[in-house]
Amino acid sequence: MRKGLAVMTCLALALMITGAAWAQQDKVKAAFVLLETIDDQGWTTAHYNGIEYLQEQLGDKVEISFTENVMAPADAERVIRDYAAQGYDVIFATTFTHMEPMVAVAPEFQDTVFMHCSGYMTADNLGTYFVRMYQAEYLAGYTAGLMGYKNVGTVATHPIPEVVRGINAFTLGLERGLTESGTEFDPDKVNTVVWLQAWRDPINETTLAETLVAGGHDLIRQMADTADSSLAACAGGVPAIGYGTDAAFYGADCALVSTVLNWGPVYTRTVEQVLAGTWETEQYWGGMDEQGAILSPFGASVPPEVQEKVLAAQAEIEAGNDTIFTGPIMNQAGEEQVADGVALTPVQLLAEMNWFVQGVSGSLPE
Amino acid sequence: MLSEVTMVGQIAVKASIGVLLGSLGEIVTEKSGVLNLGVEGMMLFGAMAGFAVGSITGNAYLAASAGMVGGGLLGLLHAVFSISLQANQVLSGLAITIFGSGLAHFLGRPFINARGVTLAPLPIPLLSDIPVLGKVFFSQSILAYTAYALTLILYFMLTKSRTGLVIRAAGEDAAAADAAGTPVTTIRYASTVFGGMLAGLGGAYLSLVHTPGWKEHMTGGQGWIAIAMVLFSVWNPLWAFCGALLFGVLTALQFAFQMWGVTAVPQYILKMMPYLLTIMVMAVIHLSPSLRRKSGAPGDLGRPFSREG
Repeated sequence: MRKGLAVMTCLALALMITGAAWAQQDKVKAAFVLLETIDDQGWTTAHYNGIEYLQEQLGDKVEISFTENVMAPADAERVIRDYAAQGYDVIFATTFTHMEPMVAVAPEFQDTVFMHCSGYMTADNLGTYFVRMYQAEYLAGYTAGLMGYKNVGTVATHPIPEVVRGINAFTLGLERGLTESGTEFDPDKVNTVVWLQAWRDPINETTLAETLVAGGHDLIRQMADTADSSLAACAGGVPAIGYGTDAAFYGADCALVSTVLNWGPVYTRTVEQVLAGTWETEQYWGGMDEQGAILSPFGASVPPEVQEKVLAAQAEIEAGNDTIFTGPIMNQAGEEQVADGVALTPVQLLAEMNWFVQGVSGSLPE
Repeated sequence: MLSEVTMVGQIAVKASIGVLLGSLGEIVTEKSGVLNLGVEGMMLFGAMAGFAVGSITGNAYLAASAGMVGGGLLGLLHAVFSISLQANQVLSGLAITIFGSGLAHFLGRPFINARGVTLAPLPIPLLSDIPVLGKVFFSQSILAYTAYALTLILYFMLTKSRTGLVIRAAGEDAAAADAAGTPVTTIRYASTVFGGMLAGLGGAYLSLVHTPGWKEHMTGGQGWIAIAMVLFSVWNPLWAFCGALLFGVLTALQFAFQMWGVTAVPQYILKMMPYLLTIMVMAVIHLSPSLRRKSGAPGDLGRPFSREG
């Protein structure tokens, strides 16, 4: 459960001002606790790209350290406590399993700011952060739909709300694109979901993608960490859509586009707040309006008019008009799951998304 | 229906070759009396070495050879510990897995996003035209054909040749073999290095054929499956071939069933099957002494040999 269920139950409550007063600083020491190595080509590489962005933006105002391969909670607690004891001003823990270790350490170091990615527990000096990847996923699906891909195969990771939300958003975007491009499609089956039951497993990512290609799917949606499923699609002569980092960077030249986790802005924002002494506990869930999730540059095969339409839809979302999960939305059974004009609440999006929209073929294992 | 069988078969064979190469090597090593739990580390190191050399030289055959050399070097290290120094073979093997993985990740960093070479599928003329079987078995990469050939060669070598006899003698009863003049230490060294080389080749298969490129932790436990397959195969290369194929079929089916909407067999069961079958084979062998004798389990497996006793 590493990217985790970002169950941010009460966003409003979380904005409570704690009364803790932070001093203004000239220089901040920031530490990052990373799940795998910065070369994992997926989750941790995306965080590392964010770290590099932070260093670029703030230059010598920030001094950065990081520790790789922190998986076990006991290790995480030791690493987090070490950084706090060394006087780091802000510590970022980048995966779901770091949550409880961080909650355990935070009270002992009241002058340190703790930030945990993808969790839901907070404290006076502990906030959370996550990004609205589903917005980028919606646009990626829209891109594929506009180009007429109507039989997508998805290399899905773990059946938790974060992933299901992404699949649903992608499918809704795909259906919008297909409708707008006048492509006829089977309303019950435009996106076939197959579970990898892992976040990262290059060999099986490849085998799964090859199975989907051999099964006749016309586009492969990568959701696992490495670009290997996109590369397998390319090798099989089918286009792909990358995930997490830009798949084209790893040689997947058949990728239409990739949905990219862009942690740089949230890191920069947080460190700036610590510098200014204005940091407060919050549960940050940044969308495309704050560049938390972005689309990579389009691949060569995406026509200019499709790019224009997608960018126009992106501008809408960036302007704050996120109507992706506003009804009417049908579920797999063809029943109305979200009524016309009703928008899903953050809790419904983050914790309760255990259902697929109509058009997804596949099931959610118990 | 036939096209589905062909599809699953082709993916299954592709998914099984790494495990097959690893378990063929391990069979020879264990037959000589040395237990090698370092296969996972040797495969990972072979995957890195193979891809790295391919990336530098641009030659896929040099790359595959480099994978073998890399695995062989770790095999040599295991031989030094477990044969010359008579260390606990379980510990030595586990240490090699940890060391091999660490070294592969350390040396592999420059090759993380490098462009390398791949060994593309090479359909065999005529044979690849056979319905179903042609696509399944004879439209694979050259390393797959190498693995088929090795399966047969090692089977005949172990059961019919003099070389096989001395390897088996060293593993069955090292003291008796030694008394009969068999160079036990030399044979065990050679078998352990050979096992390491095949594990390394299995790793190179993964980084050159299966999912081209070097990725950290890319073997994903295939080395452990290879060791399980040795038990499953009761030390017989032909059964190892069937076991690896079964592993490949189960891997392919866990995804194909989902794709087709077949929910009768849960994915977890398919994932569990190779291990479950291995445990069942082991249980059966252990419960029946006569089967155990017939099974091909080397009598001195895991026991260091020295004349001083």
